[in-house]
Amino acid sequence: MRRYARTLILIILLFLGSVAALAVQKIDLGNFQRGGDTILGLSLGLDLQGGSHMVYQTNLVDQSGQTIVPSEEQMSGLKKTIERRINASGLGEPIIQVLGEDRLLVQLPGINDLDRARKLIGDTALLEFKHRTSGTYLDIEGLDAEMIVSVSIDHLPEQVDASGNTESKVSDSGTVDELPKTPWIFIEFTDDGSAIFQDTLGRIGAKMISTGAVSPSSMGSSIFGIEVNIEGNESLRYTITPFFVERFEDQPNQFAIPYAQGGQSTMPMSIEQAQAFMGDDLTISFQEITSSDEDIGLTGDLLERAFPSQHAQTSEPIVNVQFNDEGTKIFGELTQEIANDTSQAIAIMLDGDELIAPVVLQPILTGSAIISGSFTLNETRDIALLLESGRLPVPIDLVQERTVDSILGADSLEKSVIAGIIGLVLVLVFMTLYYRIPGLVAASALFIYASLILAIFKLLPVTLTLSGVAAAILSIGMAVDANILIFERMKDELRSGRTLTSAINIGFNRAWPAIRDSNVSTLITCGILYYFSNQLGTTVVQGFAATLAIGVMISMLSAVLISRTFLRVLALTIFGRKANMFVPTKGGSLPHMDQQ
Amino acid sequence: MNLNFARLRGWFFLFSLCVILPGMYFLFVQPGLKSGIDFSGGSSLTVRYDVSVNQNTLRQGLEDIGYSESTVQDFGDNTFFLRMHLLEDGTYKDLVADLSTQIGLTDKYEVLSFDLVSPVIAREVVLNAFYAVIAAALGIFIYVWWAFRNVPSPFRYGVAALVALLHDVLVVLGVFALLGWLLNYEVNTMFLIALLTVIGYSVNDTIVVFDRLRENVSIYPNRDFPENVNYSISETIGRSLNTSLTLMLPLVALILFGGQTIQVFLVVLLIGVVAGTYSSIAIASQILVSWHSGDFGRFLLRRNR
Repeated sequence: MRRYARTLILIILLFLGSVAALAVQKIDLGNFQRGGDTILGLSLGLDLQGGSHMVYQTNLVDQSGQTIVPSEEQMSGLKKTIERRINASGLGEPIIQVLGEDRLLVQLPGINDLDRARKLIGDTALLEFKHRTSGTYLDIEGLDAEMIVSVSIDHLPEQVDASGNTESKVSDSGTVDELPKTPWIFIEFTDDGSAIFQDTLGRIGAKMISTGAVSPSSMGSSIFGIEVNIEGNESLRYTITPFFVERFEDQPNQFAIPYAQGGQSTMPMSIEQAQAFMGDDLTISFQEITSSDEDIGLTGDLLERAFPSQHAQTSEPIVNVQFNDEGTKIFGELTQEIANDTSQAIAIMLDGDELIAPVVLQPILTGSAIISGSFTLNETRDIALLLESGRLPVPIDLVQERTVDSILGADSLEKSVIAGIIGLVLVLVFMTLYYRIPGLVAASALFIYASLILAIFKLLPVTLTLSGVAAAILSIGMAVDANILIFERMKDELRSGRTLTSAINIGFNRAWPAIRDSNVSTLITCGILYYFSNQLGTTVVQGFAATLAIGVMISMLSAVLISRTFLRVLALTIFGRKANMFVPTKGGSLPHMDQQ
Repeated sequence: MNLNFARLRGWFFLFSLCVILPGMYFLFVQPGLKSGIDFSGGSSLTVRYDVSVNQNTLRQGLEDIGYSESTVQDFGDNTFFLRMHLLEDGTYKDLVADLSTQIGLTDKYEVLSFDLVSPVIAREVVLNAFYAVIAAALGIFIYVWWAFRNVPSPFRYGVAALVALLHDVLVVLGVFALLGWLLNYEVNTMFLIALLTVIGYSVNDTIVVFDRLRENVSIYPNRDFPENVNYSISETIGRSLNTSLTLMLPLVALILFGGQTIQVFLVVLLIGVVAGTYSSIAIASQILVSWHSGDFGRFLLRRNR
């Protein structure tokens, strides 16, 4: 007994140690930190904890259009920028890894607001300040003279509705209070022409509303609009806004614009007068009055600071930006040039989308400006964050994503653990019934084994995925296998007449090569899985391979150390007398023809 | 069990062929392996509805909102697995919202998971899967060859183990091609992991028999080789069956009561355990016997005549 005392104590210490490691939820000893809020403090993978795992591919193109591989610095810069963004957002801690030469793996375990996180990562965050000049006249692209079928002067058609009231038959505009008898210009387009014209109207209308230049209810000169040029007996030239163009339900290619004589609409004129004035042969052409943006080299790279705050007067959320010296200079020059000129503005764009294009009332020489644009509080925070962290050094595309809701994860985990426990209990019952005392030994050894591997998973740490849990459960089954090998061997030796103690020893010695060799093959496949894990799915494959490998190795240890010691100890006790308790219930006949 | 296993080897080989050939038909001729998005690219998501929904309703709904090439699988418990072409970043939420509104269940659902794999990555995964399997097979072959270096003709042991391994892989692939056709079982990274594990386990089992064979051959060199094989099998069969049992019990429990997400993985393991046990007895060992007895030469000669 004394011989085994040391080993017994070692085993007990290991067992207690592992239980302690598991029982303490969070271990925090100086630099060594393990554990957390999860069950037993184990590190859980994405499919158990919920969260997101995304792989991004860089999309770097040189001048000739060839895709090139980014440099190590660029990848490192990319990684840092994204880390900064997510860390600062308070969404949680991301785990970011560079994969190969041009890919980035971003893991967001247990994060709730995945959409926000996704935006924070994926947005390049290129902020541009452009010099916008309005009032430029441009031919409407694609609208040729052949697309105009006919032009005529008429009045708006009337329609009698059910109650006998007369009302105009119109479809698009909202403000029709004009007396139906004033002249309008009717233009009929071809299908293509009509589509282009409608498109242009929509565009200009949207611009007018978004820049707040003109409200829909007024008409008059503005920096946006459509310039109309009508040739007949006389020439007419005036500006209209999209909100006063009429369309008709039954004739989609026909548009009607108000007739204005002398450049401004003045006295109401009758149709006959207008028709007499202009004659019958009319042609019309259009130009759009729009804005053009000039790039002055003022981008987010020249920002020193960006932070969210509230507008002093309106209290709406805004983003406050401060340029660096160079930025301040350019900004100052720009604002000096366009101050008080409503036909010029600063177009502020984020990743190509226009945020806002305010006009400037006074030159701003301090280099600080506010960006407002009906943002929510979260939006201002995120925009400031994106600007402060700098734009991504390399553009990226999402090529792989795996998102698991935490509910599914917890559910899967729970079910699997319960099922696993059921299965294992069945195994242990079987073992005890079939192998009797050695079976009991195996059961207790397995118990210790289970707590050992869990402790190792926690301390290393090894990320447990769902398949990893299955692997752990399986490896417990395989640990049983090692024991079985030994017991079968023991049975043989006992049958051939050896004493219990020597049967145990010989059993172990003979069984060990088989145990070792057979487990190595499993370890080889684990190694291969681990090696390929980068390409095959990283956390999932890695977690599984590591779990199985550790399970297999510890199972060998447990068979040799724990089972053997227990058996030896037991052999020396009272049970040792009853050798038949160490032999399986149904021995089975052995085909031994030669006696050893 | 005291069968003359060696004498039955012809029947064993025949039986294996009967299992593998139909599997190969399903694999190469008919639908073949149904590959999930991990191997073919695309997006997939799991949705759970608060009320009971018919699979066809969902399918129709998807068609109505313009996703006619998507597939729907019923996971039970009002949970469905939808699969479609690659979706733009983040738009899957809109898709489910639109779909739910289309079938009249606005907001009465929960998206449990979402996967996206671009074709670029998918192609790489397929390639790497291939390499991984080959690397595993090679690694194991070399190891067995080395482990049994002190036995006459260790090369044969390596080859026999390799053939048994291939046999198990083919069985699994064949069964899965069939299941893919019948039950829409998809093959993805989980399948691959399980397959590699099966490879590892199958040899595990084979080596135990070989180890006993090695011992018997060195202790009883005068015994006829096939006889030694028979004894080795008989002596280890108790352990083989028991081990298979101890592995299958938790597996079956997990399949029955465990979560849905790893079903494929578990089924592969189950098939693999059964095949692995069978192949150690009926294939690997018997190949050694056949080789030793010159069966192959005779078989080939007879055919050529």
